[in-house]
Amino acid sequence: MTDTNPPRPARLDVRPVKRPIWQRFSLVWLAPVLALAVSLGAAWKNYADRGTLIVISFENAAGVAAGETLIKYRDVTVGKVETVEFAPGLGDVLVHARIDKDVAPYLDDDAEFWVVRPDVSVRGITGLDTVLSGVYIQGNWDTEADVAQFEFTGLERPTLTLAGQDGTRIILRATDGSTVSAGAPVLHKGIEVGYLETPELNFDGSEVIVAAFIESPYDRRITTSTRFWDTSGFSVSFGAGGVSLNVNSLASLIEGGVAFDTVVSGGATIDDGHLFSIFNNEQSARESLFTDPDAELLHVAVLFEESVSGLTVGSEVRFQGIRVGEVSEISAIVVGEGDTAQVRLQTVLAIEPARLGMPAGSTNDDAIALLSDFVSRGLRARMVTGNILSGSLMIQLAEIEDALPAIMTRAVGPYPVIPTTDSQISDVAATAEGVLARINALPVEELMDGAIDLMDSLERLANDDSTRQAPQSLVALLDESRALIANDDLQNVPADLRAVIAELDSIVARANELDIVGDIDGVVASAAQTVASIQTATQNLPQITANIEALTAKANALELEALVASAGSTLDSIDALIASDDTMDLPGTVNGALDEMRVFLAEVREGGAIENVNAVLASANEAAQAVEEAVAGLPELSARANSLVAQTQAVIESYGERSRFNAETMATLRDIQSAADALTALARTIQRNPSSLLTGR
Amino acid sequence: MQVFDLGSTGTTAGLITARNAGLVACQRCGQVHAIGTAYCKRCEGRLQSRDTQSLQKVWAWLIAGIIAYFPANIYPMLLTNTLVEHSESTIIGGAVDLMHHGAIGIALIVLFASVVIPIGKFGAIIYLALSVQSKSARNPHERHKAYELVEFIGRWSMIDVFVVAILSAMVQLNTVATINPGIAALSFALSVIFTMLSAQSFDSRLIWDADKP
Repeated sequence: MTDTNPPRPARLDVRPVKRPIWQRFSLVWLAPVLALAVSLGAAWKNYADRGTLIVISFENAAGVAAGETLIKYRDVTVGKVETVEFAPGLGDVLVHARIDKDVAPYLDDDAEFWVVRPDVSVRGITGLDTVLSGVYIQGNWDTEADVAQFEFTGLERPTLTLAGQDGTRIILRATDGSTVSAGAPVLHKGIEVGYLETPELNFDGSEVIVAAFIESPYDRRITTSTRFWDTSGFSVSFGAGGVSLNVNSLASLIEGGVAFDTVVSGGATIDDGHLFSIFNNEQSARESLFTDPDAELLHVAVLFEESVSGLTVGSEVRFQGIRVGEVSEISAIVVGEGDTAQVRLQTVLAIEPARLGMPAGSTNDDAIALLSDFVSRGLRARMVTGNILSGSLMIQLAEIEDALPAIMTRAVGPYPVIPTTDSQISDVAATAEGVLARINALPVEELMDGAIDLMDSLERLANDDSTRQAPQSLVALLDESRALIANDDLQNVPADLRAVIAELDSIVARANELDIVGDIDGVVASAAQTVASIQTATQNLPQITANIEALTAKANALELEALVASAGSTLDSIDALIASDDTMDLPGTVNGALDEMRVFLAEVREGGAIENVNAVLASANEAAQAVEEAVAGLPELSARANSLVAQTQAVIESYGERSRFNAETMATLRDIQSAADALTALARTIQRNPSSLLTGR
Repeated sequence: MQVFDLGSTGTTAGLITARNAGLVACQRCGQVHAIGTAYCKRCEGRLQSRDTQSLQKVWAWLIAGIIAYFPANIYPMLLTNTLVEHSESTIIGGAVDLMHHGAIGIALIVLFASVVIPIGKFGAIIYLALSVQSKSARNPHERHKAYELVEFIGRWSMIDVFVVAILSAMVQLNTVATINPGIAALSFALSVIFTMLSAQSFDSRLIWDADKP
C-alpha cells in the first residue's frame, strides 16, 4: 500500500443555515413575557381597583395616621387614609382617603364621618378596641346612591343615629340644657326606647333644642298628645306618706334623660322633626295634657316695689286659684327719668291664654284685651306665699274689692304691665316663732301642780267624813223642812188672817155705828202692842234672808272643796233656822196676836169706844204700814229662795239624778217653792190691798 | 503528540481550541467526541460545541428576574400583625426601620443580601452577556471569575426568603402576633430563581471564544 493521498472532495463548507427567527427564538422568552404580563396585569388591576379618593376635613384629627387609619362603614373596612395635610390657612386638617370603588357611589351629601376614639361614659365604654389598634374613621351614610360627593366635613362627635336605622327623629325643646346631654336615654315606661342627640341653643338663645331618636317600633307610641318630661336627677317629695325618693336610673341620674307617655288617645301621628316641649316633671307634663304646650305664651310684666326674694323663674302664676302660667323672667328695671327714677323689679309672667278660658284660636291681643278688662275691674297682681316651708313665693292674680282704679299700661318695657297690690307673704320664721313662743309660755308646770292639788283636794274631800255625811244631813234637814211646811198651823195662817180681817171688818163696821171713843186709849195701847208683836214676829224673816244670802254668796263662790262643806253648814243653818224656836213660834205668835186682836175687838165691841175711832184708825193705819213694810221683804225673800233652790238643785243634780237623796231633795225644794209661792201670794194680796187688814174688805 | 500550553491564556499564540481541533466535549461526563456527534456515546448526553441559544436564555431569564424584582421592592415583604398594630414592611423600609432602631449591622446585612447582591448580579450578568455579544476579548479571566461568583452567590440570595418563611412559620400566635409573607417575598424568590436560571443559562465557553489564538 502506498501512502498516497487519495483524492478527496473539497472541504465542505459547513455553515449553519440561518434559521428563521421564530426557529431561533427560544421558548425561554416566554418566562420574561409571562413575568411582565403578570406584573403589568397586577399593576393594572391594582390601579383599576384603586379606591375613589375623597377628602374629609376635620378640626381635630388626633390619632389619624396616613396609610394606616382605616375607614369603616358598619365596622367593615371600606377604605384607608392615604395622606393627612392641613387645609390652606391651617384651619382644618384634610384627610385624603381611598374608599372602595363599590362603596364610593353611596357617599352622597348625607354621608358623615367621624373619628372613633375610646369613650368612657355612664352608659358604657365604646371604642375600646381603638386603644390598641389606633383610631379609625367611621362613616355613616344611607343605602341610597345619590349624587356622589368627594369632599366631606368630619363630625367632632359621633352621630348617634346610624343611617338606615328604623325609627323617628323628633325635636325636643327645653328651657335648660343641663338636664339633657348627648346620648341620654329616652324612656317610655322605664324602658329605654331612644336617646338624645347633641343639644344646641336655638337661634335666639332662649331655648335648648335637642333632637331625639326614638327607635322603631316604639316611635309608634308618639302622637301629638304625647308629653315629654325630664327624668334627670332624683326627686324628693314630702307628703303624708313620708319622704319619697325617686331615682329613675343611674344613667339618667348623671346624664339626664327624658321620658314620655301618651295618656290621652286620639293624637295624630307625627312625622320626623315634630317639635315637643320637655316638661320639668311628670306631673306638670300630665297637667299640660289639656292645653297646647306649644301654644304661644302671653307675656305680661309686673313691677314690684318690694323684694321679690323667694320668687324664681318658674314660680307659678295663679288666677282665681288656677295655674295659668309661670314666671319667665325676673329683672330690675329703671322706671322714670331724672330725679324720679326708681328701680323696680320687673317680673315677666308667661301666661297661657287657653288657661284664662280663651277659646282656641284667640290671639295674644285678645288675651291682653281680656286682662285689661279684668284690671279695670280690680284685677291686681300680688305675691303670695307658695310654700310656707321653703318660703317660695308665687304670683297671684286676684280681684281686689276696693282697689284704686288702674289700667294696664305699656309704659315700661316691651310688655304690658299689670298693676300690683300688697303682697300676702307669711313669714314662716315669724309664724313659727310666735307659735313656739306661745307654747313656751304655757304654764305647763303650774297646770300640772294645780291638777295634782285638785286631785289631792278631791281625794281628801271624798274621804272626808263630813262629805259622806252631807247627804244624810240634807235628808234630815229636808225632812224637817217638809214637816215644818206641812204644819197645819202655818198653813192656817192665811185663813186665820182672813178671819181676823173679816172680824176687823165687822168691828170697824160696828165701830162706825157705836160710840167707842171712851175706851180709845186702851185700844190704842193694845193696838200698838199688837203691832209690835207682829213686828217682832216678822223681824225673823230678814234674818233668814241674810242667811240665805250668805249661802247664795258662798254658792256663787263655788269652790269645790268648800262647796260641800258650805252646803252642809248652810243646811245646818237652815236646819237650825227651821228648828229654832222663833220660827216654830212664828205661827203660834201670829195666832196669839190674832187672838189678842180678837179679844181686843171683842172688848171694843163690848166697850163701844166709837168716840175714839179716829185715833184708832190712825194707829191702825200706822200698824198697817208697818205690816206692809215687813211684808215688802217677802218677794225678795221668795226670789232668793228660788235662786237658792235652783243652785241647790244644780248642786244636787251632781249627786245623781235618780238617787233617793235627789228625789227627796227635789220634793223638799218643790215644797219650799210652793211655800214661798204661798208667801208671795199672801204678800201680794196684802200689798195690793193693805187696808183690807183694817177694813176687812 | 502536541503539548498544549494550558498554563497560558489570552491571546496565546498557537493555542488550539477543541472546536478548532474538530472535537467536542460532553459537558456531563467530559468524553471527547468528534464534532458533529449529536449524543455522547458514554452518557448519552447531548453534545453541543456551543449553546447557540445561551444568550437568548440569559437575557430572557434576566429580564424576567428584573421584572420580578420591582414588586419585590414595592410590595411589603412582611405583614406583621400584633395586638397593638398592623405593619407592613418592604425590604428597604424594613432596613431603614432597622437603622432607625440602631441595628445598623443587621440593616446593612439586609441591604446587602436583598439589594446589593441582586442588583450586582443583574449588573454582572448584563456585563457578561454584553461582552460576549460584542466578542470582547478583554479580561476573560476576570469575567469568568465573575461568572463563577454569580453562580455561587445566587443561591444565597434566597436567604431573605428563608428568613421570611421561618418567621412566618414561627410567629403564628393568633391575635397576639402574626407574621405573614407579603407579595414581595414571592416576587423576590421568583427574581432570585430567574436570576439563577439566567446565570446557569450562560455558556461560559463563550467568554473564551473571543480569545483569538
